[in-house]
Amino acid sequence: MTATTAQLPSAQAPTAQEAPGRRDLRLDFFRGLALICIFIDHIPENYLNYFTLSAVGFSDAAEVFIFISGFTASLVYGRTLAVRGVLVATVQVLRRAWQLYVAHIFLFVIFIAEVSYTVRAFNNPMYNEEMGVGDFLEHPHIAVIQALVLQFQPTFLDILALYIVPLLIFPLVLVTLRRGPWPALVPSALIYVAVQLSGFDVPAYPAGSSWTFNPFAWQFLFVLGAVMGQTDARREWPRALLLLAYIPAIAIAAAALVIRLSWAFHGLNEAFPALFLRHLWPVNKTNLAPIRLVSFFALFVLVARWVPPRARFLRAPLARPVVLCGAHSLEIFCLSILLSALGHFLMSEVAMGLAMQVAVNIVGIAAMCLTAAMLDWYRALQRAPLPPPTTAGQRFGGEG
Amino acid sequence: MGGWRRSAGPIWGLAAFFAAAAALPCAAAEPAECAVPPELMEAGAALPHLAARLKAHQPAKIVAIGGASTIGQAAGDPDFSYPHQLQQILGQELPDSRIVVVNKGIPRQAAKQNLDRFPTDVFAEDPVMTIWETGINDAVRGTDVDDFAETLTTGVDQLKNRAIDTVLVDMQFSKSATALINFDAYLKALHRVGEVADVYVLPRFEMMRYWSEQNVFNFDDVAPADRAKLAARVYDCLAQKLAQVIGRAVR
Repeated sequence: MTATTAQLPSAQAPTAQEAPGRRDLRLDFFRGLALICIFIDHIPENYLNYFTLSAVGFSDAAEVFIFISGFTASLVYGRTLAVRGVLVATVQVLRRAWQLYVAHIFLFVIFIAEVSYTVRAFNNPMYNEEMGVGDFLEHPHIAVIQALVLQFQPTFLDILALYIVPLLIFPLVLVTLRRGPWPALVPSALIYVAVQLSGFDVPAYPAGSSWTFNPFAWQFLFVLGAVMGQTDARREWPRALLLLAYIPAIAIAAAALVIRLSWAFHGLNEAFPALFLRHLWPVNKTNLAPIRLVSFFALFVLVARWVPPRARFLRAPLARPVVLCGAHSLEIFCLSILLSALGHFLMSEVAMGLAMQVAVNIVGIAAMCLTAAMLDWYRALQRAPLPPPTTAGQRFGGEG
Repeated sequence: MGGWRRSAGPIWGLAAFFAAAAALPCAAAEPAECAVPPELMEAGAALPHLAARLKAHQPAKIVAIGGASTIGQAAGDPDFSYPHQLQQILGQELPDSRIVVVNKGIPRQAAKQNLDRFPTDVFAEDPVMTIWETGINDAVRGTDVDDFAETLTTGVDQLKNRAIDTVLVDMQFSKSATALINFDAYLKALHRVGEVADVYVLPRFEMMRYWSEQNVFNFDDVAPADRAKLAARVYDCLAQKLAQVIGRAVR
């Protein structure tokens, strides 16, 4: 993604330094945090699960990832639309969707490799009959095509598929956004409400399963992010809205935190009461249950209020790796999926102990951060103007 | 809730001893290989409708719904499936009862597909109890965990509303499958559904994990032809455990 003028709405008056062209580090930081949480959450029986975003509210890293993706997409492509017109903006959005699609196929190939290898090692007939993990090895002509059309979404391949769909309609969203937030927001909200009322879900392969993230529900969060990405943070009303929402947000976030913590403690020790467990659990993720949305926006309001765009900690050396992960989200997302699959494999095949768990977490997160740093270094290298050709360069050029 | 069960422990233990002693000549005692750590058999099921039916000396029908391990596919013959073996064991353990266990397993179905079959395969049979074995396919396909939990809750509520006693059976354990698939979240969800709805969950996963760690049933060192026999022995052990849970609940 190119350098942007990303600005979350802020309760603070803008400063002169927030000139266009400066990237809002909060977007990268929180997306990076979401990616690290996705890595941790995807490793089963990982004790760090107790400390990810899902532990403090009803929403989790998926909401953060989709919302910030909508936000940055609208910033980047909104500017292209304003400067270079609809056609160029559309082509850029579709090019991004294509990149995601290629990443989806790449992850699918790795998934095939992993499954083919493991299935060969299966000796247990009770499992072969039951699970059919290797089913697609028997029917590759169906399974591969279903994966190509995003209908086959084995573990971990779901969030990219979700990300691709809103991008495909994104040029339309951008064009309607030019006429103000409502023409985009109202249809999006209506579709969301229709999904909530009807419980409609999108069928997938194999028969009987459905899209893990219902795109008709989750598009609402993406569009909400896009609307806020277009909202000029320097105007009065976003700040007024933030102030108004501040007290309810504190109440909601605190309630969600207490309830989630009580569930976590209850999971560890049954004597501890789980508050409202019978009423609130399970919280539907496929269709983005309203309670998840409310819980997420409570956190959003608090972050927008408590973390100013120029917060010092965002530039601290410790935050730097997280910011870098968020800035290269697609690559780091793919890597995190591979790493969590590998970590899971090591934990169940080699050793189960705490030492292995600590090692998997540390090595995995370090690998993500180092890769992000490398990608960033390489991008800076590409952007730097080339020095004028030297005579030596010319000579080599001539000889080649 | 756990209190009375625990305090009742010594009494039924004694009862079980006498029952076992009385039934010794004909009842097949549990094979030693089925042994599991006592904490896995600590929890008890509440099966009031089945108990009432048996107390009234009326016939009782149990429907076993689930996947391939319900139909007994790995053992090669439905006679070796856990529902059939359960019926045999219950017939021996509760000689004056007339319990029929109906097998409604269909391989490779997710919980949602099981639930869709409830009207035809469960309610139509008019059972007094249902054993619902599920979760593997949801974990394999990566159904959203919360959706999985919602489906289970819906199903358990439907059974409860029709006065059908329910027992849930969690997933099978296999070391290589665990390396590939995230069962943890699905196990937690299934057990939490049981807890919220006051329904007993047979911890099959932990039992099979124990057998695997103790090398009781080792599929690796067995010729392919003998694997079906081994699978039948695992199903038999699971039937023994279920029979114990049911026996404790109705006595």
